[in-house]
Amino acid sequence: MNPYRCIFQMGIEKSLEYRVNVLLTMAGSVFPVVLQTFMWTYLYGHADAAASTGYSYSQIMIYTLLATLVSQLVSTGFAWQINDDIRQGGLNKYLVRPVHYGGCQFCSFLGEKIPQFLLLLVAAVAVIVFSMAVFGLTLSAARVFLFVISLLFALALNFFLFYSIALISFWLTDVNQFFGTVGIVLVVISGGILPLDIFGEKAVFLTRLLPFGYTTQFPVNIINGRYSMCMVGTGLLCQIFWIVSFAFLGELLWKKGLRHYIAVGG
Amino acid sequence: MAVINVEHLKKEFSYYRKETGLSGSLHNLFHREILTKEAVRDITFSVEKGEIIALLGPNGAGKTTTLKMLSGILYPTSGRALVDGFIPWERRNEFKRRFSIVMGQKNQLWWDLPASDSFYLNKCIFEIDDQQYIRTVEELSELLAVRELMSVQVRRLSLGERMKMEILAALIHRPEILFLDEPTIGLDIVSQQKIRSFLKYYNEQEKTTIILTSHYMRDIEELCERGVIISQGQVVYDGMLSGINHLMGDKKVITLKFSEDISPKQLAPFGRIRECRCREGVLELPREGLRKTMADILSGLPVEDFTVTEVPLEESIALIFRKEAVS
Repeated sequence: MNPYRCIFQMGIEKSLEYRVNVLLTMAGSVFPVVLQTFMWTYLYGHADAAASTGYSYSQIMIYTLLATLVSQLVSTGFAWQINDDIRQGGLNKYLVRPVHYGGCQFCSFLGEKIPQFLLLLVAAVAVIVFSMAVFGLTLSAARVFLFVISLLFALALNFFLFYSIALISFWLTDVNQFFGTVGIVLVVISGGILPLDIFGEKAVFLTRLLPFGYTTQFPVNIINGRYSMCMVGTGLLCQIFWIVSFAFLGELLWKKGLRHYIAVGG
Repeated sequence: MAVINVEHLKKEFSYYRKETGLSGSLHNLFHREILTKEAVRDITFSVEKGEIIALLGPNGAGKTTTLKMLSGILYPTSGRALVDGFIPWERRNEFKRRFSIVMGQKNQLWWDLPASDSFYLNKCIFEIDDQQYIRTVEELSELLAVRELMSVQVRRLSLGERMKMEILAALIHRPEILFLDEPTIGLDIVSQQKIRSFLKYYNEQEKTTIILTSHYMRDIEELCERGVIISQGQVVYDGMLSGINHLMGDKKVITLKFSEDISPKQLAPFGRIRECRCREGVLELPREGLRKTMADILSGLPVEDFTVTEVPLEESIALIFRKEAVS
């Protein structure tokens, strides 16, 4: 068996070992959804929020539910592991074997995602059916297909983005707190909590220019029908561009970083 | 033919100093004095194919750093090394297939899964065919007595059990060269003995070249004939371990049992007293003239029994460490 496939399988096994952790992580995302539901219901009930945001109440609720799902799906947790490997010398076991560290992390990340992905898929179907029934969401097969493609790209992009950030550990030894902060900031600026276009034209421009929106807001806007097919095509190309860019950046940081690596400890 | 050649290897690390307490931390917040430490200053040695050598030295002498450079984990500051014809820090895949490193203080197995999963991963990484893999795992798990533990999560294993699994994982691809950095550290006597006998057997069977570092002299004495002693980043002795005694003054240790109490004053004329307690005494005597001195002791004192042994290896090595530290 190919070693990367083996690592992928071991990733699945690892996350099945800690199944309660998977469930708790997902349950944790219910709370912000409840909070946002209350917030939007209040705002839309007391002011002309629709005029200022450009979203109707049902549109914003669909966005909130889908964005929560997507950001859960693309979320990563390996930055701490990479920091630990660099700080404590755990990298050694990869350096002495004929495998690529980034490749191992990627396959393990995908493997660990699978059980969560399957659970989220059930949740996604439920949310979509619910949105169609309650909020009047309409779907086409083409949009569902493009949504799945953009979701896979978003997963890869978020991996390379966080991989590059995690490799900063070669230069700054203890950056765990920093990862926490970056994680929160990235969820916000990728549109994981609010649709960024409610902040006006400049925000829309920046979201399209920068890579972050392509991890969450972009897939959500495909399925909720806000993006035209032309915008979807451009967006998918932008996703590919950012994936390749961050993959290169990650490789560069890896090569430079290894020169700094001191493999501490006995 | 030498399979490992190391010439003038050097490794410097930069670090900064911090004075004790909060004021030191505050001072460092604004100004950090960067210092350089020579972990390995100038190391030259070679190892023949199939040989087991001991890399010895006090803590911080540079043993582990040397092994990390030889396995390509670290880049050296300067110097050359060839391991089986490869420059280790170029990290060629063909090179990685030829060696393994086991670090007693580092875990190379997947912590949350059973060791058998890590073995299987190594099988895939090193592209071992099924038959050979099954044979190797069966044979080695039998020898190390860990067959029953293969499906237990690594984090649930005891230190000794985990260490045996680490060694097994390192040998899945039957490496030609093995670097062992304190493989018996923290283990009980039985586990230490088991690992020692295994390594000895494995080396005899497979003719694997092994570099071993350990602070346990039993490991060294049982496994290695040759030792390279490093102190403060430099080689201070490279030769047969049996020759160290000669180097340190060629002495013998005589343990005597008497039929009546003996005073140090009675023992003093024969040699340096190591111990004198009621009816027991331990003397250190030069090898030269030993026969005559022994005859004098036997005729002059009420000796009931005696044994003659070499000066323990650790004492000779400790003496070399101390000498180097003073000079």
